[in-house]
Amino acid sequence: MDPALRAAASGMMAQQLRSEVIANNLANVNTTGFKRSRAHFEDLLYQTVQGSAVIGSPENQVAPAIQIGRGTRLAGVQRIHGQGTLEQTGRPLDLAIEGEGFFQVQTGGGQTAYTRDGSFEISDQGILVTTQGYTLQPEIRIPNDATGIAIGRTGIVTVTRGNNAAEPQEVGRIELARFANPAGLQSMGENLLQPTAASGEPVLGFPQEEGMGRMVQGALEGSNVEIVQEMVDMITAMRAYEINSKAIKNSEQMLEIANNLVR
Amino acid sequence: MPRTTGLTSAAGALRYWERRQEVVAHNLANVSTDGFKGERVFARLLGDATPAAQTATDTRAGTLRQTQNPLDLAIAGDGYLVVQTPAGERFSRGGALALDAGRRLVDPAGHPVLGEQGAITVPEGAVLTVSPAGDLRMDGRPVARLRLERVPPGTPLAHEGGTLLVPDGARQSIPPAERQLRQGAVEESNVSPISALVEMIGVQRAYASVQKAVTTLDAVRGTAATDLGKPV
Repeated sequence: MDPALRAAASGMMAQQLRSEVIANNLANVNTTGFKRSRAHFEDLLYQTVQGSAVIGSPENQVAPAIQIGRGTRLAGVQRIHGQGTLEQTGRPLDLAIEGEGFFQVQTGGGQTAYTRDGSFEISDQGILVTTQGYTLQPEIRIPNDATGIAIGRTGIVTVTRGNNAAEPQEVGRIELARFANPAGLQSMGENLLQPTAASGEPVLGFPQEEGMGRMVQGALEGSNVEIVQEMVDMITAMRAYEINSKAIKNSEQMLEIANNLVR
Repeated sequence: MPRTTGLTSAAGALRYWERRQEVVAHNLANVSTDGFKGERVFARLLGDATPAAQTATDTRAGTLRQTQNPLDLAIAGDGYLVVQTPAGERFSRGGALALDAGRRLVDPAGHPVLGEQGAITVPEGAVLTVSPAGDLRMDGRPVARLRLERVPPGTPLAHEGGTLLVPDGARQSIPPAERQLRQGAVEESNVSPISALVEMIGVQRAYASVQKAVTTLDAVRGTAATDLGKPV
Protein backbone atom coordinates (compact mmCIF):
# COMPACT_ATOMS: atom_id res chain seq x y z
CA MET A 1 0.00 0.00 0.00
CA ASP A 2 2.96 2.26 0.55
CA PRO A 3 3.50 2.76 -3.23
CA ALA A 4 -0.09 3.98 -3.57
CA LEU A 5 0.52 6.58 -0.85
CA ARG A 6 3.71 7.74 -2.52
CA ALA A 7 2.16 7.94 -5.98
CA ALA A 8 -0.72 10.02 -4.65
CA ALA A 9 1.69 12.26 -2.72
CA SER A 10 3.73 12.83 -5.89
CA GLY A 11 0.49 13.85 -7.60
CA MET A 12 -0.25 16.38 -4.86
CA MET A 13 3.25 17.84 -5.09
CA ALA A 14 2.93 18.13 -8.88
CA GLN A 15 -0.33 20.04 -8.57
CA GLN A 16 1.22 22.34 -6.00
CA LEU A 17 4.12 23.16 -8.35
CA ARG A 18 1.62 23.75 -11.13
CA SER A 19 -0.28 26.20 -8.92
CA GLU A 20 2.97 28.03 -8.16
CA VAL A 21 3.68 28.48 -11.86
CA ILE A 22 0.11 29.70 -12.44
CA ALA A 23 0.35 32.12 -9.50
CA ASN A 24 3.55 33.59 -10.94
CA ASN A 25 1.88 34.03 -14.34
CA LEU A 26 -1.09 35.76 -12.76
CA ALA A 27 1.15 38.01 -10.66
CA ASN A 28 2.84 39.17 -13.87
CA VAL A 29 -0.29 39.87 -15.86
CA ASN A 30 0.73 43.55 -16.09
CA THR A 31 4.49 43.07 -16.43
CA THR A 32 5.86 44.53 -19.66
CA GLY A 33 7.35 41.90 -21.95
CA PHE A 34 6.55 39.02 -19.56
CA LYS A 35 6.22 35.54 -21.06
CA ARG A 36 3.99 33.01 -19.37
CA SER A 37 5.29 29.61 -18.27
CA ARG A 38 3.61 26.28 -17.95
CA ALA A 39 4.55 23.21 -16.01
CA HIS A 40 5.01 19.83 -17.69
CA PHE A 41 4.73 16.50 -15.98
CA GLU A 42 5.79 13.00 -16.82
CA ASP A 43 4.99 9.65 -15.26
CA LEU A 44 7.66 8.02 -13.13
CA LEU A 45 9.46 4.77 -13.88
CA TYR A 46 7.34 1.67 -13.80
CA GLN A 47 8.01 -1.26 -11.56
CA THR A 48 7.44 -4.61 -13.11
CA VAL A 49 6.00 -6.96 -10.54
CA GLN A 50 6.32 -10.64 -11.25
CA GLY A 51 2.96 -12.34 -11.25
CA SER A 52 2.13 -14.94 -8.65
CA ALA A 53 2.14 -18.64 -9.46
CA VAL A 54 0.26 -21.66 -8.24
CA ILE A 55 3.04 -23.77 -6.82
CA GLY A 56 2.97 -27.42 -7.69
CA SER A 57 0.12 -27.18 -10.15
CA PRO A 58 0.57 -29.47 -13.16
CA GLU A 59 0.00 -26.63 -15.64
CA ASN A 60 2.49 -24.39 -13.81
CA GLN A 61 0.06 -21.56 -13.90
CA VAL A 62 1.81 -18.22 -13.61
CA ALA A 63 0.16 -14.83 -13.88
CA PRO A 64 1.84 -12.46 -16.35
CA ALA A 65 4.09 -9.78 -14.91
CA ILE A 66 2.29 -6.53 -14.22
CA GLN A 67 3.47 -2.94 -14.41
CA ILE A 68 2.80 -0.55 -11.59
CA GLY A 69 3.66 3.10 -11.96
CA ARG A 70 5.11 5.16 -9.18
CA GLY A 71 3.41 8.52 -9.70
CA THR A 72 4.38 11.68 -11.49
CA ARG A 73 7.10 14.29 -11.45
CA LEU A 74 7.79 17.72 -12.87
CA ALA A 75 9.48 17.32 -16.25
CA GLY A 76 10.10 21.02 -16.72
CA VAL A 77 8.69 24.50 -16.77
CA GLN A 78 8.52 25.85 -20.27
CA ARG A 79 8.33 29.53 -21.13
CA ILE A 80 5.88 30.25 -23.95
CA HIS A 81 7.31 32.93 -26.22
CA GLY A 82 4.07 33.99 -27.84
CA GLN A 83 3.69 37.62 -28.83
CA GLY A 84 2.09 39.82 -26.18
CA THR A 85 -0.37 42.51 -27.22
CA LEU A 86 1.11 45.89 -28.07
CA GLU A 87 -0.12 48.69 -25.87
CA GLN A 88 0.10 52.20 -27.26
CA THR A 89 1.74 54.55 -24.78
CA GLY A 90 2.67 57.45 -27.05
CA ARG A 91 5.96 57.87 -25.16
CA PRO A 92 8.78 58.24 -27.72
CA LEU A 93 11.22 56.08 -25.74
CA ASP A 94 8.84 53.12 -25.40
CA LEU A 95 9.74 50.40 -27.87
CA ALA A 96 8.02 47.14 -28.66
CA ILE A 97 9.31 44.28 -30.79
CA GLU A 98 6.70 42.80 -33.06
CA GLY A 99 8.06 39.37 -33.96
CA GLU A 100 11.25 37.64 -32.92
CA GLY A 101 14.20 39.18 -31.11
CA PHE A 102 15.38 40.58 -27.79
CA PHE A 103 16.97 43.86 -26.77
CA GLN A 104 20.52 43.44 -25.49
CA VAL A 105 21.37 45.22 -22.25
CA GLN A 106 24.48 45.31 -20.13
CA THR A 107 23.81 44.46 -16.49
CA GLY A 108 25.75 45.74 -13.50
CA GLY A 109 28.26 42.89 -13.66
CA GLY A 110 29.24 43.74 -17.24
CA GLN A 111 27.29 40.74 -18.48
CA THR A 112 24.94 40.93 -21.45
CA ALA A 113 21.31 40.08 -20.73
CA TYR A 114 18.29 39.97 -23.03
CA THR A 115 14.85 41.46 -22.60
CA ARG A 116 11.58 42.15 -24.42
CA ASP A 117 10.84 45.10 -22.13
CA GLY A 118 11.44 48.21 -24.23
CA SER A 119 10.62 51.02 -21.79
CA PHE A 120 13.84 52.99 -22.13
CA GLU A 121 15.01 56.22 -20.56
CA ILE A 122 17.89 58.60 -21.11
CA SER A 123 20.59 58.47 -18.43
CA ASP A 124 22.40 61.50 -17.04
CA GLN A 125 25.14 60.85 -19.61
CA GLY A 126 22.64 60.93 -22.44
CA ILE A 127 22.71 57.14 -23.06
CA LEU A 128 19.62 54.96 -23.61
CA VAL A 129 19.08 52.77 -20.50
CA THR A 130 16.34 50.45 -19.20
CA THR A 131 14.14 51.47 -16.27
CA GLN A 132 16.60 49.63 -14.00
CA GLY A 133 19.46 51.73 -15.40
CA TYR A 134 21.11 49.02 -17.51
CA THR A 135 22.67 50.26 -20.75
CA LEU A 136 21.15 49.25 -24.08
CA GLN A 137 23.75 47.55 -26.31
CA PRO A 138 25.14 48.85 -28.65
CA GLU A 139 25.20 52.19 -26.82
CA ILE A 140 23.02 54.93 -28.27
CA ARG A 141 23.89 58.46 -27.20
CA ILE A 142 21.24 61.15 -27.49
CA PRO A 143 22.72 64.69 -27.81
CA ASN A 144 21.79 67.21 -25.10
CA ASP A 145 20.13 69.58 -27.50
CA ALA A 146 17.89 66.93 -29.10
CA THR A 147 14.30 68.10 -29.34
CA GLY A 148 12.77 65.01 -30.93
CA ILE A 149 13.63 61.32 -31.18
CA ALA A 150 12.31 59.05 -33.91
CA ILE A 151 12.95 55.31 -34.05
CA GLY A 152 12.07 53.61 -37.30
CA ARG A 153 10.77 50.10 -37.90
CA THR A 154 14.26 48.96 -38.80
CA GLY A 155 15.68 50.32 -35.53
CA ILE A 156 17.41 53.42 -36.88
CA VAL A 157 17.40 56.15 -34.21
CA THR A 158 17.29 59.72 -35.51
CA VAL A 159 17.13 62.98 -33.55
CA THR A 160 16.25 66.51 -34.50
CA ARG A 161 18.43 69.17 -32.90
CA GLY A 162 17.38 72.67 -31.95
CA ASN A 163 14.95 74.18 -34.39
CA ASN A 164 16.34 72.22 -37.32
CA ALA A 165 13.34 69.89 -37.66
CA ALA A 166 13.84 69.47 -41.38
CA GLU A 167 17.20 67.67 -41.06
CA PRO A 168 17.05 64.67 -38.73
CA GLN A 169 20.40 63.26 -37.74
CA GLU A 170 21.10 59.52 -37.30
CA VAL A 171 22.64 58.69 -33.91
CA GLY A 172 22.65 54.88 -33.98
CA ARG A 173 20.73 51.73 -34.74
CA ILE A 174 19.15 49.30 -32.32
CA GLU A 175 20.42 45.75 -32.72
CA LEU A 176 18.41 42.71 -31.66
CA ALA A 177 19.48 39.22 -30.62
CA ARG A 178 17.72 36.00 -31.46
CA PHE A 179 18.05 32.48 -30.10
CA ALA A 180 17.57 29.10 -31.71
CA ASN A 181 15.49 28.01 -28.73
CA PRO A 182 14.22 31.02 -26.75
CA ALA A 183 12.38 28.68 -24.36
CA GLY A 184 15.82 27.62 -23.09
CA LEU A 185 16.71 31.12 -21.84
CA GLN A 186 16.97 31.47 -18.08
CA SER A 187 15.05 34.17 -16.19
CA MET A 188 17.19 36.48 -14.07
CA GLY A 189 14.32 38.59 -12.70
CA GLU A 190 13.89 42.28 -13.59
CA ASN A 191 12.46 41.15 -16.96
CA LEU A 192 15.92 39.97 -17.98
CA LEU A 193 16.90 36.65 -19.52
CA GLN A 194 20.30 35.05 -19.88
CA PRO A 195 21.48 32.49 -22.42
CA THR A 196 22.12 28.86 -21.45
CA ALA A 197 23.43 25.81 -23.30
CA ALA A 198 19.83 24.95 -24.18
CA SER A 199 19.02 28.34 -25.71
CA GLY A 200 22.13 28.42 -27.93
CA GLU A 201 24.33 31.38 -28.75
CA PRO A 202 22.70 34.72 -29.62
CA VAL A 203 22.39 35.58 -33.29
CA LEU A 204 22.59 39.34 -33.81
CA GLY A 205 20.77 41.34 -36.45
CA PHE A 206 18.91 44.54 -37.15
CA PRO A 207 15.13 44.77 -36.90
CA GLN A 208 13.22 43.59 -39.97
CA GLU A 209 16.30 41.79 -41.29
CA GLU A 210 17.02 38.03 -41.24
CA GLY A 211 13.81 37.06 -39.50
CA MET A 212 13.98 39.69 -36.73
CA GLY A 213 10.80 41.43 -35.71
CA ARG A 214 10.05 45.07 -36.39
CA MET A 215 10.44 47.95 -33.98
CA VAL A 216 7.34 49.87 -32.92
CA GLN A 217 7.93 53.24 -31.31
CA GLY A 218 5.48 54.59 -28.73
CA ALA A 219 4.21 51.16 -27.71
CA LEU A 220 5.08 48.48 -25.15
CA GLU A 221 4.60 44.75 -25.41
CA GLY A 222 2.22 43.62 -22.69
CA SER A 223 2.40 40.32 -20.83
CA ASN A 224 1.19 37.31 -22.85
CA VAL A 225 -0.66 35.89 -19.83
CA GLU A 226 -4.35 35.28 -20.46
CA ILE A 227 -6.25 35.55 -17.20
CA VAL A 228 -9.14 33.27 -18.18
CA GLN A 229 -6.77 30.50 -19.27
CA GLU A 230 -4.80 30.74 -16.01
CA MET A 231 -8.01 30.70 -13.96
CA VAL A 232 -9.21 27.54 -15.68
CA ASP A 233 -5.80 25.93 -15.10
CA MET A 234 -5.92 26.97 -11.46
CA ILE A 235 -9.33 25.32 -10.97
CA THR A 236 -8.17 22.06 -12.56
CA ALA A 237 -4.96 22.09 -10.49
CA MET A 238 -7.00 22.61 -7.32
CA ARG A 239 -9.40 19.76 -8.14
CA ALA A 240 -6.58 17.41 -9.11
CA TYR A 241 -4.88 18.21 -5.80
CA GLU A 242 -8.06 17.38 -3.95
CA ILE A 243 -8.60 14.12 -5.80
CA ASN A 244 -5.05 12.97 -5.03
CA SER A 245 -5.65 13.67 -1.36
CA LYS A 246 -8.69 11.39 -1.64
CA ALA A 247 -6.43 8.64 -3.01
CA ILE A 248 -4.18 9.04 0.03
CA LYS A 249 -7.17 8.84 2.35
CA ASN A 250 -8.48 5.74 0.58
CA SER A 251 -5.10 3.98 0.80
CA GLU A 252 -4.86 4.91 4.45
CA GLN A 253 -8.28 3.41 5.16
CA MET A 254 -7.24 0.20 3.41
CA LEU A 255 -4.18 0.06 5.64
CA GLU A 256 -6.47 0.42 8.63
CA ILE A 257 -8.61 -2.47 7.39
CA ALA A 258 -5.48 -4.57 6.98
CA ASN A 259 -4.47 -3.75 10.54
CA ASN A 260 -7.83 -5.05 11.72
CA LEU A 261 -7.01 -8.50 10.32
CA VAL A 262 -5.18 -9.30 13.51
CA ARG A 263 -7.41 -8.95 16.52
CA MET B 1 -4.44 -29.84 -8.13
CA PRO B 2 -3.34 -28.51 -4.80
CA ARG B 3 -6.21 -27.60 -2.57
CA THR B 4 -6.21 -23.87 -1.92
CA THR B 5 -7.68 -23.12 1.43
CA GLY B 6 -10.05 -20.27 1.96
CA LEU B 7 -7.39 -18.26 3.74
CA THR B 8 -4.92 -18.50 0.85
CA SER B 9 -7.57 -17.34 -1.58
CA ALA B 10 -8.48 -14.46 0.68
CA ALA B 11 -4.85 -13.40 1.02
CA GLY B 12 -4.51 -13.46 -2.79
CA ALA B 13 -7.62 -11.34 -3.07
CA LEU B 14 -6.27 -8.79 -0.59
CA ARG B 15 -3.05 -8.50 -2.61
CA TYR B 16 -5.08 -8.09 -5.78
CA TRP B 17 -7.09 -5.16 -4.38
CA GLU B 18 -3.93 -3.54 -3.03
CA ARG B 19 -2.33 -3.67 -6.48
CA ARG B 20 -5.47 -2.20 -7.91
CA GLN B 21 -5.37 0.70 -5.47
CA GLU B 22 -1.69 1.33 -6.34
CA VAL B 23 -2.57 1.56 -10.01
CA VAL B 24 -5.53 3.89 -9.39
CA ALA B 25 -3.31 6.16 -7.26
CA HIS B 26 -0.72 6.25 -10.05
CA ASN B 27 -3.37 7.09 -12.64
CA LEU B 28 -4.74 9.87 -10.44
CA ALA B 29 -1.25 11.28 -9.84
CA ASN B 30 -0.95 11.66 -13.61
CA VAL B 31 -4.30 13.31 -14.16
CA SER B 32 -2.55 16.41 -15.57
CA THR B 33 0.36 14.71 -17.33
CA ASP B 34 -0.15 15.52 -21.00
CA GLY B 35 -0.06 12.46 -23.25
CA PHE B 36 -0.40 10.03 -20.33
CA LYS B 37 -2.17 6.71 -20.89
CA GLY B 38 -3.74 5.18 -17.83
CA GLU B 39 -3.30 1.60 -16.63
CA ARG B 40 -6.20 -0.73 -16.08
CA VAL B 41 -6.22 -3.76 -13.84
CA PHE B 42 -7.94 -7.06 -14.52
CA ALA B 43 -8.30 -10.06 -12.27
CA ARG B 44 -7.19 -13.39 -13.55
CA LEU B 45 -7.95 -16.63 -11.81
CA LEU B 46 -5.00 -18.80 -10.96
CA GLY B 47 -5.76 -22.40 -10.10
CA ASP B 48 -9.18 -22.64 -8.50
CA ALA B 49 -9.65 -19.55 -6.52
CA THR B 50 -6.64 -17.24 -6.32
CA PRO B 51 -7.14 -13.98 -8.21
CA ALA B 52 -4.00 -12.35 -9.62
CA ALA B 53 -3.70 -8.81 -10.96
CA GLN B 54 -3.01 -8.21 -14.61
CA THR B 55 -2.44 -4.74 -16.07
CA ALA B 56 -2.98 -3.34 -19.53
CA THR B 57 -2.43 0.11 -20.93
CA ASP B 58 -5.61 2.00 -21.71
CA THR B 59 -4.77 3.45 -25.13
CA ARG B 60 -7.91 5.51 -25.56
CA ALA B 61 -7.26 9.06 -26.70
CA GLY B 62 -7.36 11.93 -24.23
CA THR B 63 -9.08 15.23 -24.91
CA LEU B 64 -7.17 17.61 -27.18
CA ARG B 65 -6.48 21.01 -25.64
CA GLN B 66 -5.80 24.01 -27.88
CA THR B 67 -2.63 25.88 -26.90
CA GLN B 68 -1.75 27.79 -30.10
CA ASN B 69 1.91 27.03 -29.38
CA PRO B 70 3.45 26.09 -32.77
CA LEU B 71 5.58 23.30 -31.29
CA ASP B 72 2.71 21.57 -29.51
CA LEU B 73 1.66 18.50 -31.47
CA ALA B 74 -1.22 16.16 -30.79
CA ILE B 75 -2.51 13.14 -32.67
CA ALA B 76 -6.23 12.91 -33.31
CA GLY B 77 -7.10 9.25 -33.79
CA ASP B 78 -4.60 6.46 -33.42
CA GLY B 79 -0.88 6.35 -33.98
CA TYR B 80 2.30 7.40 -32.23
CA LEU B 81 5.26 9.61 -32.96
CA VAL B 82 8.60 7.81 -32.76
CA VAL B 83 11.33 9.20 -30.51
CA GLN B 84 14.92 8.04 -30.14
CA THR B 85 15.92 7.26 -26.55
CA PRO B 86 19.23 5.78 -25.35
CA ALA B 87 17.32 2.48 -24.88
CA GLY B 88 16.01 2.45 -28.48
CA GLU B 89 13.00 3.78 -30.34
CA ARG B 90 9.92 4.56 -28.28
CA PHE B 91 6.35 5.60 -29.00
CA SER B 92 5.06 8.97 -27.84
CA ARG B 93 1.70 10.65 -28.28
CA GLY B 94 3.38 13.99 -28.91
CA GLY B 95 2.79 16.92 -26.60
CA ALA B 96 4.91 19.97 -25.95
CA LEU B 97 7.84 19.50 -28.30
CA ALA B 98 10.81 21.88 -28.27
CA LEU B 99 13.98 22.69 -30.15
CA ASP B 100 17.29 21.89 -28.49
CA ALA B 101 20.51 23.93 -28.80
CA GLY B 102 21.21 22.35 -32.20
CA ARG B 103 17.64 23.17 -33.38
CA ARG B 104 16.70 19.50 -33.33
CA LEU B 105 13.04 18.74 -32.70
CA VAL B 106 12.88 17.02 -29.29
CA ASP B 107 10.21 15.80 -26.89
CA PRO B 108 9.88 17.40 -23.40
CA ALA B 109 12.52 15.01 -22.03
CA GLY B 110 14.99 15.96 -24.79
CA HIS B 111 14.73 12.81 -26.93
CA PRO B 112 14.89 13.55 -30.69
CA VAL B 113 11.60 13.09 -32.53
CA LEU B 114 12.21 11.01 -35.64
CA GLY B 115 11.22 11.86 -39.17
CA GLU B 116 11.45 9.55 -42.14
CA GLN B 117 15.11 10.57 -42.54
CA GLY B 118 15.99 10.30 -38.83
CA ALA B 119 16.26 13.18 -36.35
CA ILE B 120 14.82 16.47 -37.61
CA THR B 121 16.86 19.66 -37.61
CA VAL B 122 14.63 22.69 -38.10
CA PRO B 123 16.23 25.50 -40.14
CA GLU B 124 16.05 29.13 -39.04
CA GLY B 125 12.91 30.88 -40.07
CA ALA B 126 9.77 32.57 -38.92
CA VAL B 127 6.78 30.28 -39.33
CA LEU B 128 6.87 26.53 -38.69
CA THR B 129 3.81 24.62 -39.83
CA VAL B 130 2.93 20.95 -39.44
CA SER B 131 0.32 19.51 -41.78
CA PRO B 132 -2.16 16.83 -40.63
CA ALA B 133 -0.08 14.28 -42.56
CA GLY B 134 3.03 15.20 -40.56
CA ASP B 135 4.88 17.37 -43.07
CA LEU B 136 7.01 20.02 -41.39
CA ARG B 137 7.44 23.23 -43.33
CA MET B 138 9.49 26.30 -42.43
CA ASP B 139 8.22 29.43 -44.19
CA GLY B 140 6.54 27.12 -46.73
CA ARG B 141 9.70 25.13 -47.54
CA PRO B 142 9.44 21.41 -46.70
CA VAL B 143 11.75 20.28 -43.89
CA ALA B 144 10.84 16.69 -43.08
CA ARG B 145 7.98 14.29 -42.66
CA LEU B 146 7.32 12.89 -39.20
CA ARG B 147 7.15 9.16 -38.65
CA LEU B 148 3.76 8.11 -37.41
CA GLU B 149 3.29 4.45 -36.56
CA ARG B 150 0.76 2.14 -35.02
CA VAL B 151 0.43 -1.41 -33.83
CA PRO B 152 -2.43 -3.78 -34.60
CA PRO B 153 -5.38 -3.30 -32.22
CA GLY B 154 -5.03 -5.30 -29.03
CA THR B 155 -1.24 -5.42 -29.05
CA PRO B 156 0.02 -4.86 -25.52
CA LEU B 157 2.28 -1.83 -25.14
CA ALA B 158 4.51 -1.66 -22.08
CA HIS B 159 4.79 1.63 -20.24
CA GLU B 160 8.05 3.41 -19.70
CA GLY B 161 8.39 6.56 -17.58
CA GLY B 162 8.15 9.91 -19.30
CA THR B 163 4.85 9.06 -21.07
CA LEU B 164 6.71 6.76 -23.46
CA LEU B 165 5.52 3.35 -24.59
CA VAL B 166 7.70 0.49 -25.77
CA PRO B 167 6.68 -0.41 -29.33
CA ASP B 168 5.92 -3.95 -30.35
CA GLY B 169 7.62 -5.74 -33.24
CA ALA B 170 4.46 -5.70 -35.38
CA ARG B 171 4.43 -1.93 -35.81
CA GLN B 172 3.59 -0.37 -39.12
CA SER B 173 3.73 3.09 -40.63
CA ILE B 174 0.43 4.94 -41.07
CA PRO B 175 -0.23 6.07 -44.65
CA PRO B 176 -0.19 9.90 -44.94
CA ALA B 177 -3.85 10.01 -45.99
CA GLU B 178 -4.94 8.49 -42.67
CA ARG B 179 -2.85 10.72 -40.44
CA GLN B 180 -4.47 13.38 -38.31
CA LEU B 181 -1.81 15.46 -36.60
CA ARG B 182 -2.92 18.67 -34.93
CA GLN B 183 -0.50 21.53 -34.51
CA GLY B 184 -1.03 23.91 -31.57
CA ALA B 185 -2.76 21.35 -29.39
CA VAL B 186 -1.77 18.84 -26.73
CA GLU B 187 -3.48 15.64 -25.73
CA GLU B 188 -4.48 15.63 -22.10
CA SER B 189 -4.14 12.63 -19.82
CA ASN B 190 -6.82 10.02 -20.60
CA VAL B 191 -7.48 9.36 -16.92
CA SER B 192 -11.04 10.24 -15.94
CA PRO B 193 -10.88 11.51 -12.35
CA ILE B 194 -14.52 10.65 -11.71
CA SER B 195 -14.30 7.01 -12.82
CA ALA B 196 -11.03 6.68 -10.90
CA LEU B 197 -12.72 7.97 -7.74
CA VAL B 198 -15.62 5.57 -8.20
CA GLU B 199 -13.17 2.72 -8.77
CA MET B 200 -11.30 3.70 -5.63
CA ILE B 201 -14.44 3.50 -3.51
CA GLY B 202 -15.18 0.09 -4.97
CA VAL B 203 -11.64 -1.07 -4.21
CA GLN B 204 -11.90 0.00 -0.60
CA ARG B 205 -15.27 -1.72 -0.07
CA ALA B 206 -14.07 -4.94 -1.69
CA TYR B 207 -10.95 -4.88 0.43
CA ALA B 208 -13.08 -4.51 3.57
CA SER B 209 -15.31 -7.43 2.50
CA VAL B 210 -12.33 -9.72 1.97
CA GLN B 211 -11.00 -8.69 5.35
CA LYS B 212 -14.34 -9.74 6.86
CA ALA B 213 -14.04 -13.09 5.09
CA VAL B 214 -10.59 -13.59 6.62
CA THR B 215 -11.81 -12.82 10.13
CA THR B 216 -14.82 -15.13 9.66
CA LEU B 217 -12.64 -17.98 8.38
CA ASP B 218 -10.37 -17.42 11.32
CA ALA B 219 -13.32 -17.55 13.71
CA VAL B 220 -14.45 -20.85 12.16
CA ARG B 221 -11.03 -22.35 12.75
CA GLY B 222 -10.98 -20.97 16.23
CA THR B 223 -14.28 -22.70 16.92
CA ALA B 224 -13.01 -25.93 15.40
CA ALA B 225 -9.85 -25.85 17.50
CA THR B 226 -11.38 -24.93 20.82
CA ASP B 227 -14.98 -26.22 20.86
CA LEU B 228 -14.51 -29.51 18.99
CA GLY B 229 -11.56 -30.42 21.14
CA LYS B 230 -13.51 -30.07 24.42
CA PRO B 231 -14.31 -33.33 26.20
CA VAL B 232 -18.00 -33.90 26.38
